[in-house]
Amino acid sequence: MTRPFSRSLSRRTVLAALAATAATPMLGGKARAASMEEIKKRGLIVATEDDFRPFEFVKDGKPTGFDNELVDDLRKYAPFEIKQEILPWTGILAGVSTGKYDVAITAAIITKERKQSLDFTSPIADATHYYVKRKSDTNIKTVKDLSGKTCGVQAGSALLGRLPELKAMLEKQGGTMGKIVEYTSYPEAYQDLALGRTDYVVNTIINLKALVIEKPAVFEVGQAVSGPSFPAWAVAKGNKELLDFLNGFIAKQKETGRFAELQKKWFGEAFTALPVQFEPEF
Amino acid sequence: MSGADIVAILQGAVVTVTLSLVGILIGLPLGLGLALVRWADTPVFARVVALYVSILRATPLVTLLLLLFFALPNIGVPIGPISAAVLALVMNTSAFNCEVWRAALNAFPKDQYEAAQAVGMRAGQRFRRIVLPQIARASLPGLVNEMSLLIKVTPVLAVVGVVDITRAAVRIGAETYEPLPPFLVAVALYMPIVFALVSLQRRIERRQAAAEAAA
Repeated sequence: MTRPFSRSLSRRTVLAALAATAATPMLGGKARAASMEEIKKRGLIVATEDDFRPFEFVKDGKPTGFDNELVDDLRKYAPFEIKQEILPWTGILAGVSTGKYDVAITAAIITKERKQSLDFTSPIADATHYYVKRKSDTNIKTVKDLSGKTCGVQAGSALLGRLPELKAMLEKQGGTMGKIVEYTSYPEAYQDLALGRTDYVVNTIINLKALVIEKPAVFEVGQAVSGPSFPAWAVAKGNKELLDFLNGFIAKQKETGRFAELQKKWFGEAFTALPVQFEPEF
Repeated sequence: MSGADIVAILQGAVVTVTLSLVGILIGLPLGLGLALVRWADTPVFARVVALYVSILRATPLVTLLLLLFFALPNIGVPIGPISAAVLALVMNTSAFNCEVWRAALNAFPKDQYEAAQAVGMRAGQRFRRIVLPQIARASLPGLVNEMSLLIKVTPVLAVVGVVDITRAAVRIGAETYEPLPPFLVAVALYMPIVFALVSLQRRIERRQAAAEAAA
């Protein structure tokens, strides 16, 4: 199940998370991030996902994937204990902003909106948005051919939020944006694409590549439909000490070549030109 | 899907059954207790229970769970995923059970109670020997209904990191890109669990009917 970095939050869950966060100060406590000093004493609590291949997923009962290998490296790097919690995407960012987890070690796309309540580390991969189509569909050869075609995308996702970029691309060439169908998760979107209910699905290049490696006979990756976009790990807003520590770790892994090695292993290519810091436009 | 995947879903089934059982075993008597407080019309407590039931019945389980999981640690109560899941299940199901029990209590004929008083039974005896057997029978279908609903809302608990049948299936689908087979296994597991519950209800009802016929 290749869920996007964005991933869907149903309205109910968003409300629930909001209620939880809103109720926190009412109960007399204060949601706050743990300082580095506290972390050294009690250990660093990292949250990872369980169904987000190739970043984090569970194989034969064991967490694996790009981020989980980095968590293993982090255990060796950090002079304190690392405690890992594995849970679905829905609770992760809410957990980080309420201080339940110190850092979300998952691929959260850096967006303007998320930057209001979270701080992001250096990008860990390239998340430029691409389209995927049925291999048998010969009508789509370039982005231009997507004009008027039905698009599948995940509801509430960063990908959905950047479809206007594709719309602008199409209109510049005299085309129009077709119907957009929103799904709660990507496996359903792929299923509908395979069944011919949609003509293409938009997701990040890494997710789509992973999909096509598994199903080369059914799907084919097309071209980019967005400008630059990057996923990173998220910490609570203003937790600069922890952010610096994690950025130091990422920088070291990049320097030793370990980062590129893991990217090659899990994404099929190494992104060597990632920025150290990224300011999102969207 | 490999053998290890089937084992993972079965482990999920153990979690689903365990959490459901704990929820039922605590929620059932708790619901009865709450219903009795309202039935007896205990001054302040009856109002408090009425409020509790109204709030809990109006709160989606996932909302309640996230609230407990994220808010309790901020007031100094550390809570893990499993404890938060059990607490949310118990709070939710006890509110619904309370109403099922209360309906049976309200329908309970007052004259029987007064007759028991007249022959000198003490309050505890009256409840155990006269009231409880009758309301238990009247409540059984409603309670089993609520229990089967409880089993089927357990996938919601995954939101805090509990791995039940459905979550185990989701994980496998995410790994293999084939979501259908694990979900078929998941559905095949829920059915016997709920069926076992319903069979238990039938057996109890048959035994009651037999006892009545013999009396």
